[in-house]
Amino acid sequence: MLYLKLMKKILSFPAYGNEELNTVAQTITYLSLGLILFSLIFMATVPFFAPGLFGRFLRQAGIIVPACTGIILLVRRKKLQLAVMALTTLLWLVVTINSITAGGVSAPIVIGYAIVILVSGLISNRTTGVITTFICIATGISIAAAEAAGILPEPITYSPAIRISIYIFFFLMIMTFQRVNVVNMMELIKRSKSNEARYRSLLENIPTTTYINNTDANAKTEYVSPQVEQLLGYPRNAFTDDPLFWTKILHPDDVEKVLAESHRTAETEEVFKMQYRLVTKSGQIVWVKDEAALVRDNENGTPLYWLGTWTDITSRKQAEEQQYDLVNGMTKRTIQLQTAADVARAATSILDINELLPNVVELIRDHFDYYYVGIFLIDEVDQWAVLRAATGEMGTKMIEAGHQLKLEDSSMIGWSLTHKEARIALDVGEDAVRFINPHLPLTRSEMALPLITHGEVIGAMTIQSEKPAAFSRVDITALQVMADLVANAIENARLFTDRVILNNELEAQNEELEQFTYTVSHDLRSPLVTIRGFLGYLKLDAESGDMERFNKDLNRIASAVDKMQALLNELLELSRVGRITNPPEDVPFEDIIQETAALLSVQLEAGNVQLIVSGKYPVIHADRIRIREVVQNLINNAVKFMGDQPAPTVEIGMDDLDSDDKPIFFIRDNGIGIHPDYHERIFGLFNRLDPDVEGTGIGLTIVKRIIEIHGGRIWLESEPGKGSTFFFTLPTAKDQKRT
Amino acid sequence: MAGEPIQVMLVEDNVDHAELVIRTLEEHRIANKVRHFLDGQSALDHLFHRGEYTDLANNPRPHVILLDLRLPRVDGIDVLKAIKESDELKAIPVVVLTTSEAEKDVARAYYNHANSYLVKPVGFEEFKKLMDDLGFYWLGWNTNPHSKE
Repeated sequence: MLYLKLMKKILSFPAYGNEELNTVAQTITYLSLGLILFSLIFMATVPFFAPGLFGRFLRQAGIIVPACTGIILLVRRKKLQLAVMALTTLLWLVVTINSITAGGVSAPIVIGYAIVILVSGLISNRTTGVITTFICIATGISIAAAEAAGILPEPITYSPAIRISIYIFFFLMIMTFQRVNVVNMMELIKRSKSNEARYRSLLENIPTTTYINNTDANAKTEYVSPQVEQLLGYPRNAFTDDPLFWTKILHPDDVEKVLAESHRTAETEEVFKMQYRLVTKSGQIVWVKDEAALVRDNENGTPLYWLGTWTDITSRKQAEEQQYDLVNGMTKRTIQLQTAADVARAATSILDINELLPNVVELIRDHFDYYYVGIFLIDEVDQWAVLRAATGEMGTKMIEAGHQLKLEDSSMIGWSLTHKEARIALDVGEDAVRFINPHLPLTRSEMALPLITHGEVIGAMTIQSEKPAAFSRVDITALQVMADLVANAIENARLFTDRVILNNELEAQNEELEQFTYTVSHDLRSPLVTIRGFLGYLKLDAESGDMERFNKDLNRIASAVDKMQALLNELLELSRVGRITNPPEDVPFEDIIQETAALLSVQLEAGNVQLIVSGKYPVIHADRIRIREVVQNLINNAVKFMGDQPAPTVEIGMDDLDSDDKPIFFIRDNGIGIHPDYHERIFGLFNRLDPDVEGTGIGLTIVKRIIEIHGGRIWLESEPGKGSTFFFTLPTAKDQKRT
Repeated sequence: MAGEPIQVMLVEDNVDHAELVIRTLEEHRIANKVRHFLDGQSALDHLFHRGEYTDLANNPRPHVILLDLRLPRVDGIDVLKAIKESDELKAIPVVVLTTSEAEKDVARAYYNHANSYLVKPVGFEEFKKLMDDLGFYWLGWNTNPHSKE
C-alpha cells in the first residue's frame, strides 16, 4: 500500500498549465524511472551470467539512479528545462562512456545517440535540438576516429544475452517515449477539436454575423457565419464566393461613404467601425453596425486577416428615428402652434389689411426661418394675383415692381388659386409648374396655399425655403390652418374697411343733412319772409292806389318765388349726386370737354369767351354725366365771374400727376379772381361771394361732391384781379384696374 | 337823446328784406335815419371809418346795429366779433336779425356778445309787430350809451 501511494505520488505531476509542457514532464519522468529500473535490473541480474561485468554495471547504476532521482525531483519542482538538459546530458554521458568502453561505434551506440537527440528535442527549442545533434555526431566521429587510430581500450565483448537485454532496454525506452507523446498528442487533438466546436457553436449562435476577410481584397472571403442568411436573406456562399458581394447590396445613399471608409481603413489598417444600411434579398432595408479589426500574427506582426462583425441595429435605428421624428415633430408643432396663435392675434387685432398682411408674412417667415413668404390677392377683374405683402428687401422690390401672376397653371400660385388646393414643390428645379423668380435665387422648396373664405378664393400665400424638400404633407395642413386664418382676417378687414367707409359716408351725409336743415331754415325762409312781407304791402298798395309800388312789390314777390324754385331744384340736384349714380365707364377726357363745349356754346358766345383746350388727356374711369356737370359748372362759373375782362378766356388743361398718381386737370380763367380767404368757403352750401351775381350757392358744392365721390380732390389757386384756376383729380382707367 | 336823429345801421344782403325793415320802421316814424349796408365789409369800413367812410361828419357811428348773419364777403358773425372786440365799438348794441332759427347760430351770436337775437317772422303782420316792438324797445325805452365821438 505504501509502495502504491509512493508510486502515485511520483507519477502525479504538477500542472504546468500547458498540454505540451505536461507531456514533456511526463515523458521525462517515465524515461528517468525506466532508466532507474533497467540499471537496477542489469546490476541485479549480471552476476548470474557474466560475473566479470558486475563492477561495471554497479558503477553505471551508481551514476544513473541518483541522477534520475534528481531529474524527477527537478520536474516536480517545475524546473523542466533543467530536467531535460540534465537527462540529455546523462544519456549522452552513458552512451559515450559505453561506446568508448565497448570498443567504438556500434549499432546500440547509434540507437543510444538517437534517443539522446529525441529527448533533447522534447523542449520545443530548435537550437538545443540542433546543438545536441551536432554534439552527438561530433562525439560519434571522434570515437570512430579513435577506434580507427586504435587508441581505444580493448573492447568488452558482451554475451548475446546482455546484448539482447540492452536492445530490449532501448526499445522499451523508445516505446515509453513514443507512447507518452502519442497519447498526449491524441488527447490534445481531441480537446482542441471539441474547443473549436464549442467556439464555433458560440460564434454561430450569437445574434451577430461574424466574418473573416482576406487582407487581399480580391481573395475569397474566408468565413461568414450563417446568421448572415437570416440577416440578409442571401446564402453564405454568396458572400464567400464574391468578396465584394456586400458592397453590391449597400443602400445607394450609403455606398459612397462606406466604400470610402473601407478603403481608408484598409490603407491605414485602423479599426473599421460604421453604421450603414444594407438591402436584403426581399428588398428591405437593414441597419447594421459593422466593426472589423485587422488580426496580426502574434510573433512577427504580419497582417493575417480582417475579423469583423455585423450587428443588426435596425430596430434601434428605427427607435432613434422615431424619437427624432417625435422630438422634431413636437418642436415643429410647437412652433406652428405659436405661429398660429400669433397670426390669430394679428388677424383679430389688426383690421387694416395693409398693416395685417406684412405682419403675417413676417411672423410666419421668422417663426419657421423660411427664406421668403408672400401673400397675393386676386384683383377685381379676377385675372391677376397681385403681390400685396412679402418679406425682406426682395419682397419690397417685387411689390414696388407690381409683381403679379396670371390665374392659370403656369405658376405655383396660379395653380393653387385655380385648383383651390395647396401645392408643394420640393425640388423646385424639377417641377415644371414653378415660376422661376430671379428675385428669389436661393429657393429650393416652395409651397403655395390658397386663401379661401366663404368658399371663395381671394388670394394665395407662397412660402419658400432654401432647403430642398423642406415641406411635408403635415406642414401643408398646419400652414393651411394659418392661411385660413389669414383669409378670414382679410375678409374681416375688408368688411371693417367697408364699414369705416360707410361710416365716414354716413357722417358726411349727416353733416350735409344738418347743413341742409340749416339751409332750409334760413335760405328757404328768406324768400318766404319776402313773399309774405310784400304780400301785406301789396294789399296796402292796392288800397292806397299806388300802382307803381304795387308793381314793384309784385316783382319782388315774383323774383323771390323764382329764387325759391331755383333753390329747391338745386337742392334736389345736390341730393341726387349722392344717391343716383350712373355706372362708371372708361371715357376719354377729351370727349367730356367736347360735349361740355357743345352744351355751353351759347353762353360762351354771348360772353365772347374764348375756350382753349390744350394738351393730351388720359382715359378716365368715371360717371360720364356727372363729370360733364363738373366741367360745365366750372366753365359756367368762369364765364359768370369774368368781370369787365376785355379778352375773356377759359383754358382747360392737364398738369403733372399728383401723389396718388392721378392726373390733375385744371380750368383756368382770367376773370375777377377770388381772395384766398374765400377759397374754402366757396365750396360750402349756399355760400355766395357776390350778391349781385345770380346764383344759389349750390353749384360748387355739387362740383366738390361729384369729385369726391370719384375719389378725387378739388382746390383752386386765385387772387383778386388775377383770374382763378380750379384744379381737380380723377381716377384713370389704368388706376381702376390696379386697385 | 339830444334830439338828434337816431342812427340805425342795417346790415342786410337781401335787398327785399332791407326794404321791408326800412319800410316798417319808417311807417311807424320810430327811426328817421336808417343806413343800409349790403355786406359785412362795407359795414365794418363804415364803423372803423375806413375806405370811402373816412369823413367823420357824414358817417357818424350808429346807436344800434341790426345785423344779418349770412353775409357776403365778411360773415355776420365776423362783423359781430370785430365790433365786440373793438374798445371803440363794443358799447354799441348789436341786434341780430336773421332768418335762421338754428341753435348753432343763436349760440354763436350770444357767445360773441350779441345784445339780442331776433328771427325774422314769416307773415306780414308778425313782421310789422316785431319791427314795432324793436323800434319801441331799442330806440324808445332803451337808454343807449353816448357815442364817444
